[in-house]
Amino acid sequence: MTFGMWDGVFFNLGPIPVDHLIFTEWVLIALIGIIAISATRNMQMVPRGLQNAFEAIIIFTYDFFTQLMDEEHVAKKWAPLLTSFFLFILCSNYSGLIPGAAHIEGFQPPTSNWNVTMTLAIITFFSIHIAGFSEHGAHYLSHFVSPSWAMLPLNLVEEVAHPLSLTVRLFGNIFGEEMVIAFLMFMAPFLVPSAIMGLSLLLGAIQAIVFTILSSSYIAAAAGAGH
Amino acid sequence: MGVALGAGLAVSIAGIGGGIGMGVAGGKAFEAIARQPEVGGDVRTLLFITLAFIETLTIYGLLIAFMLVGKI
Repeated sequence: MTFGMWDGVFFNLGPIPVDHLIFTEWVLIALIGIIAISATRNMQMVPRGLQNAFEAIIIFTYDFFTQLMDEEHVAKKWAPLLTSFFLFILCSNYSGLIPGAAHIEGFQPPTSNWNVTMTLAIITFFSIHIAGFSEHGAHYLSHFVSPSWAMLPLNLVEEVAHPLSLTVRLFGNIFGEEMVIAFLMFMAPFLVPSAIMGLSLLLGAIQAIVFTILSSSYIAAAAGAGH
Repeated sequence: MGVALGAGLAVSIAGIGGGIGMGVAGGKAFEAIARQPEVGGDVRTLLFITLAFIETLTIYGLLIAFMLVGKI
């Protein structure tokens, strides 16, 4: 038991224990993947149905990230990653709203465990520096000593603080919400938790948007012309 | 007893600070949108980012509270 959560193991995949969180993630990945593949399997010049919806989503996200990151080629390069972040976090936040979740043991949204959110944040961390190096080359290193050498320790702390704050924000929000629902389920199991569940629909979407926007603004800051 | 009090204080004091900060930021953002409705989209994005930063500090308090509750 860590943080009052169940951590049973379903089966072992070689040295890796597979628990309910990893299993939920696999189901989500398969769900998103199957929908995406079935939408793009036989594409047509004049889109219909699911392909039409997906084209609208892609155009919307490209425009959104271009406006946010100022430079179109950077936005085009990183929009697929950021959109995947958004879809995965959104589905994973909402997976806690399946009837019976949060008070049945072994049934919780993956983002309410900080191994998962830390993984996402570390992907962002590497993306930031890859974006910086691929845009500026070795010149990117000079932004660690801007405006002067004395700021080097502070800049390094800032680089570590970015993924840490992304981790804690997503984990804390979803875990806190799950705990509130679990507590209300314990106190008043009939109808009362639905108010918080309605709120958590909004909260899950906002947290997914915030994670995506913050990642994109960090990447834009590293890749931008500011340094 | 002391641990329980500490857990309550951790999240409530963090909540006071975060609440004041979010109120000021949100109020100013609405004022800006009311004065100049055409910049609404930009202000809204910036407001979300700012609120996320403020919220993180409150979440740190919540995290400490959960850790303390786990120790009771």
